Amino acid sequence: MSEKDQYKNRIELLQGTLDMLILQTLQWGPQHGYGIVQALRLRSGDVLQVETGSLYPALHRLERQGWVQSEWKQSESKQKARYYRITAKGKKQLASDLDRWEQIVEAIGSVMYVKPEESAS
Amino acid sequence: MKWFPGFGFQRRNRELKEEIDAHLQMAIADRVARGEAEETARQAAAREFGNILLVQDVTRQMWGGGWFEPLGRDVRYALRQLRKSPGFTITATAMLAVAICANSTVFSWIDGTMLRPIPGARDTDDLVSLQRGERNFSPTPPFSYLDYRDLREQNHTFAGILAYHHDWITLTGGALPERAYIANVSANYFDVLGIKPVLGRFFLSEEETRPAIPNVVLSYSLWKTRYAADPAIVGKSIEIARHPVTVIGVAPEGVVGAMPGIREDLWVTLDPLGTDVWRMTHRSGGAVWLNVIGRLRPGVSRGQAAQDLDTVMHNIVAAFPDDHLGDNRITLDPMWRSPFGANGYMAATLPILLAFAAVVLLLTSANLATLTLVRFVSRRRELAIRQSLGANRIQLVRQMVLEGVVLSIVAGAVALVLTSWTSKTFAWFFPANSNPLILNGSMDHKVVIGIAVSSLLAGMLCGALPAWRSAHAPAIEVLKAESASISGGSRNRKLLSGLVVAQIALSLPLLVCSGLFLRTLRNLAGANPGFEQDHILTASVGLNIAGYSHDEEQVIRHKILDRVSALPGVKVASLTDWIPMTLGHKGDDAYPEGYVPHPHESLQVYHAEVAPRYFESLHIPILEGREFTPDDDEKAPRVLIVDQTAARRYWPGQDPLGKKLRIWGGLFTVVGVARNSTHIFVNESPEPIVYMSFFQVGYETIVQVKTEGNPVDLAPAVENAIHEIDTRLPVFDVRPMRESTQMASSFAVVQSALAGMFALIGLVLAVTGIYGVVAYRTQMRTHEIGVRMALGASRVDVLRLVLLQGLWLTGMGMALGLAFALGLTRFIARLLYGIGANDPVTVVSVVMLLGAMSLLACYFPAHRAMRRNPVSAIREL
Repeated sequence: MSEKDQYKNRIELLQGTLDMLILQTLQWGPQHGYGIVQALRLRSGDVLQVETGSLYPALHRLERQGWVQSEWKQSESKQKARYYRITAKGKKQLASDLDRWEQIVEAIGSVMYVKPEESAS
Repeated sequence: MKWFPGFGFQRRNRELKEEIDAHLQMAIADRVARGEAEETARQAAAREFGNILLVQDVTRQMWGGGWFEPLGRDVRYALRQLRKSPGFTITATAMLAVAICANSTVFSWIDGTMLRPIPGARDTDDLVSLQRGERNFSPTPPFSYLDYRDLREQNHTFAGILAYHHDWITLTGGALPERAYIANVSANYFDVLGIKPVLGRFFLSEEETRPAIPNVVLSYSLWKTRYAADPAIVGKSIEIARHPVTVIGVAPEGVVGAMPGIREDLWVTLDPLGTDVWRMTHRSGGAVWLNVIGRLRPGVSRGQAAQDLDTVMHNIVAAFPDDHLGDNRITLDPMWRSPFGANGYMAATLPILLAFAAVVLLLTSANLATLTLVRFVSRRRELAIRQSLGANRIQLVRQMVLEGVVLSIVAGAVALVLTSWTSKTFAWFFPANSNPLILNGSMDHKVVIGIAVSSLLAGMLCGALPAWRSAHAPAIEVLKAESASISGGSRNRKLLSGLVVAQIALSLPLLVCSGLFLRTLRNLAGANPGFEQDHILTASVGLNIAGYSHDEEQVIRHKILDRVSALPGVKVASLTDWIPMTLGHKGDDAYPEGYVPHPHESLQVYHAEVAPRYFESLHIPILEGREFTPDDDEKAPRVLIVDQTAARRYWPGQDPLGKKLRIWGGLFTVVGVARNSTHIFVNESPEPIVYMSFFQVGYETIVQVKTEGNPVDLAPAVENAIHEIDTRLPVFDVRPMRESTQMASSFAVVQSALAGMFALIGLVLAVTGIYGVVAYRTQMRTHEIGVRMALGASRVDVLRLVLLQGLWLTGMGMALGLAFALGLTRFIARLLYGIGANDPVTVVSVVMLLGAMSLLACYFPAHRAMRRNPVSAIREL
């Protein structure tokens, strides 16, 4: 298996959550790719380290799906960069992603924190 | 270079690069702000980012248009690679184009003849031609009108059955009389074919038998040329053989009638003048004059239909046994191989040539595959680098296959242009003759699809195989030890050897077949047909088609004979109504007096009507009895001359002289026996023929002159002599006998010309193939050879080493090829003459030729290797 196939697998693995994380990040305002990586790292207390090999394909896919829009702007440090902004469609998607995420967390939680008497029966 | 500007690929690609660049710049800026040194920051940011190219690649895949943009990239890459080696590109394209053109040319001929048997007709797959009795080439029309009508009305399996009979006629009434091919047709003729008129109407069913309705339908081309495309032609009267007839309609452009390969110019009903009542009311003899074609009902198979018609025919035979002696079983043929017209010959010749062409294409693909493989092996470093940069094998293979496909598309386009010309060369093979032949290739969508399919297949074949092999090589190995993996590893060596063996194995049968065909042609040309062909001139006089009465005709015939005989330079003049070896013949049932034939026993003989001195002019000896004399005229008893085959068939072991044969209900007395001679083909099995006296039963008039010098020189004098009798006499087909009889070998010429060309291509490909591979492998072994020589090997040893390697391949290929050839020649056995299908002389000479050429091809690289200086050879890695 080549290096590239490994990248693909990682994207698939993270797909649902990465999309949601990106959309959530963009909720706070338009941001460029580097900014998104930094924001996710800061907010997660350095736990979430998004690979660029996953981020950029995801951003471009989200744009194709119409959930984000992009435009070229100058950053504060006078660096020209591509800023992504969440669309109305993207907000709807984020809501449903979040919904599903909560369901999954709840479901996993109920498996992991089973009450002893139920497990005995 | 911008390939898909509309898709914005270039712009998006640039933006992606800028986006990534911005990312890196910001990361560096952050790190510098945190106090890192500029250089360390740059390196750390790059490391953190990862493989930039790969990120770009994966991101690009998100853009959609999924395959199109990478494809565009691959095509551009393939073009760049091909442009880098113009020698290979041009050679490969030319080779492929020739091979594809060979296929498409033969296919266009098949398309124009067998696949388009009746131009303009609807669903020709449902049409079948009906034959009564034996199935043979160019049979005589098999049905009488009454039999045809019964078959048409009593069958349960046909949507319609048509009948026709055609012949030459003279169009009079204009400024100049003109000869045209006219067909008497059943009223449903155009209906069954599914053709609608462009002007006026076609025949009505009630017009079929009611006599004296002289209506005519014109072909589009006749309407245009002779009647200036007169839009008001319908209802006008024109003159045919001095009889007024009314134009009722014009057929669409391209419609030429129901017999494959023959052009009809105008159509009338079966008995338009009411003068043929006898023919319309009898069931045998001269009343058997119709060719019949049926359209099967949907869902009915040919077998069912044949059974159905056999039942009907059985009843007819039971009701009229005296009119149906001989074989009456009905056979049905699809129009693509209908024995009536040209397709019988086509079906016997063209598919075999197409198979040959396919072998040439296969051979070319194998040759190109070796070239490609060698090229890829020499490019293996580049491939390895691409692989280690992240290209996976599928991508590499796709790219390399694409190079093959790009080549083959270009080659296909070239072949398309070439074929649009070569498809029209088919007509060249047929000498001037007395039939309105319209044989030629056609260039339609089927041919274009054929070219596309064969070029893509060839492209895949010569791209995919080597590509898959080359992409297999492990990148690290290749990069690490360039020179150690000699000739790209043993796998490639085996593949190369296999391809060379395949090329020799494929070219050998081609050479054997073409050798057999060429020798057949020589045998045909050298064969003695049993009659004199040189110094003979023939000229047709359209007496029967010009509207003369029977008595007038007889007087004119005698006058012609007298005048032409008196011409200076004429040795002997005679009349006949048949020229041998022109693909035509007349046949009728003939029974010895008192003989009762068994059911279905066919006693058909060829017959020809000839005037006195016919046998003298053709040098056909009369073995017993006498030749015809001027006294054998209509007042005298009917007489016959039979050939040896007929004599043996009817009166084995007896003296045929004085015996009687019953033909058309009349008795003919045998007065002579002529030596056998060729009737249609030199390689025919002898068929019995009876000659009748021209002045008793002759129909068409052909003047036959034996000349002192070149017969062509006498042509104007003969024409003048005939026109002196009556200037309105149509004279046509004036040509030497030699020229007319070429028709009999025209298919042999087609076969040997094409097979010869294909074999030549095959030989060149096989020899260049083995040369290329041996030269390449020898070059790859330069180092090894240097070592061998340094260790004491002599130059002869080196020569032997290289030669043996090449000869080993040749030997394998020839062994395989021989087996292939021996299996294949059975299929062409039918087409050969004077030579066996496994003729040892041909096979041995082909093997020697191929062997000698391969030896020569191997000698050059061997010689080069031998002359190398061992010291410099060892250095070369």
